[in-house]
Amino acid sequence: MSRSIQYTASPLLTSRTPVWRSKFVVGAVALGFVGLGARAAYIQVFNNDFFQRQGEVRYNRTLELPANRGRILDRNGLILASSVPAPSIWAIPEDVSLDAAERKQLAKLLEMPEADVAKKLADEDKSFVWLKRQIDPDNAKKIAELNFKGIYQRTEYRRQYPEGEAAAHVVGFTNIEDNGQEGVELLFNSALLGRPGSRHVIKDRLGRAVEQVGETVPPEAGKDLQLSIDTKVQFFAYQKLRDAVLANRAQAGSIVVLDALTGEVLALANYPSYNPEKRVNLSGAQLRNRALTDTFEPGSVMKPFTIGLALNTGRVKTSTIIDTSPGSVTITGATIRDAHPHGALTVEQVIQVSSNVGTTKIAMQLPASEMWETFSGAGFGQKPQVEFPGVVSGRLRPAKSWRPIEQATASYGYGLSASLFQMVRSYTVFSHDGQIIRATLLKNSEPAVGVPVFTADTAAKVRKMLQMAAGPGGTGPKAQTAGYSVGGKSGTAYKQQGKGYGSDGNRKYRSWFVGMAPIDQPRIVVGVMLDEPTAGKYFGGEVAAPVFSETVQQTLRVMGVQPDIAIKPQIVANAVQESF
Amino acid sequence: MTRVNILLVLATLGSAMYLVGVQYESRRLFTELEKAHREARRLDTELERLQVEKRSQATPARVERVAREKLQMRQVTPGITMYLGRSDAPEAQP
Repeated sequence: MSRSIQYTASPLLTSRTPVWRSKFVVGAVALGFVGLGARAAYIQVFNNDFFQRQGEVRYNRTLELPANRGRILDRNGLILASSVPAPSIWAIPEDVSLDAAERKQLAKLLEMPEADVAKKLADEDKSFVWLKRQIDPDNAKKIAELNFKGIYQRTEYRRQYPEGEAAAHVVGFTNIEDNGQEGVELLFNSALLGRPGSRHVIKDRLGRAVEQVGETVPPEAGKDLQLSIDTKVQFFAYQKLRDAVLANRAQAGSIVVLDALTGEVLALANYPSYNPEKRVNLSGAQLRNRALTDTFEPGSVMKPFTIGLALNTGRVKTSTIIDTSPGSVTITGATIRDAHPHGALTVEQVIQVSSNVGTTKIAMQLPASEMWETFSGAGFGQKPQVEFPGVVSGRLRPAKSWRPIEQATASYGYGLSASLFQMVRSYTVFSHDGQIIRATLLKNSEPAVGVPVFTADTAAKVRKMLQMAAGPGGTGPKAQTAGYSVGGKSGTAYKQQGKGYGSDGNRKYRSWFVGMAPIDQPRIVVGVMLDEPTAGKYFGGEVAAPVFSETVQQTLRVMGVQPDIAIKPQIVANAVQESF
Repeated sequence: MTRVNILLVLATLGSAMYLVGVQYESRRLFTELEKAHREARRLDTELERLQVEKRSQATPARVERVAREKLQMRQVTPGITMYLGRSDAPEAQP
């Protein structure tokens, strides 16, 4: 028999419903619940990534913890380069609604023409546009106070260089993304950069962080870098160089000051220079770090090495007489001349008056291979160990390929090339008892360990010659400075023009002076180079030596070195006061 | 039995309220801490900025100019320096 349920008493609805229909409905509802349950389990348990992520996106924020770029300091801890906050202004053009007066106000605070601001805001399709990056913090504060709709700020960091153009070539600069582009900034970029950290937080609807989730990765600040540069020395070296370049109407100039005991570079400057904070319309001439990247034929500055070798091997003595008359000598058909004929000279005097003929006659007694070894030992043709962007090694051909005339010209500095930096470093052979020392741009107070090139005795003898050359009767008496004994060699090299050296009256010169002081126990080695002086004077002893003199004077004073020669005091004692 | 249950319900409710309160307080404090951290960072960078500013006001170029023009000073030379203390200093000859 079949069961049935009577749902109503109404006779109209008395027709009996079969039981399977209600069972079917119950079954369908149950199935629906099973479906929901399965879906819920799928979302919650098995495939929860998507919703988890979507949830997190809505409240979980990863904050980047910026790492400051390290500072660059001088040897006394003074700032050469440091990052300071500089807000950048950006806008959503679509949201911006400024009237003319407001736009004018904004343009004024951004220090840019109103038309440019209007142009940047014109493109309403863009949802992001930089108005100006890295502006003055005070102006940014004012913009923030004005509270324009659609204009926002973001803190970025800008590099500041308090020393400006004086140290520009050493320190270099960074680009807007805080990456080093030149100089030390480029060289030590990775050490200076540091690593940004991060942390996760939960933010509430007002954007406040309310809770920290998980681990914090602390930012690793960039390391501070302490250079060997002394800002004071750097400044007046640059100043004296600039004055000399301008006074002699030269194309350019460079100066290098090296600590003779430690090999530290105390100053390295070039002119023309630039302001690393305002790098608009920079020319290659301004950017070039000539002291390191420009090589040229050293000329007479090489002579002490040739003579040093001859002394070191005992082939000549300081008093050996060399006959330089009639002021010229012919080697395999080519004639080498002195500017003035000098007659018979001692070896010392050959350096003192800078005789090409005398040097050549001494060099012809030396085997080419020994000369090559000495020059190469003094760093010529070798990559200078100081790493720097664009540093060059100069040129020194192997001795085997030298013809006699080439050996002769090499002895007085032609047919090979070097940078001013290499020249200055090579003179540490004479200042450091015959040993060449490593030059460094980083602070290092340890005395440098040298590689022997000559004996200490030879170095002392050459120093004496250098002192004579920088003294009365020498080629560079203008190198002398009050209170300190100096020694050095001037050089005046013809600049190569095309294939030759130009003809008389049409020559271009490079003038330089490399020397050291105080001469008995040198503390500094200084090299000065002027490129194409055109104001009449062009001898190294005339144009470069005065810069050397002033730089030595100031540097030794800053270093606290006592004068080693007597000076005429100019102190006027106070007159005895009248007694009452 | 019922009394115990009521007591437990009340205890649960109380603890729940307390939890909410503590949670709120901790978030508030965290926000404060954040603010303080931000302020510390701001002061840090401000310090850096001022240090650089100070440095650029004391560059040799500026010092030299001020010394020369405003204070009428001139460059030191060994000629106008008296060296004291060390015996190896050269005797200045009058």
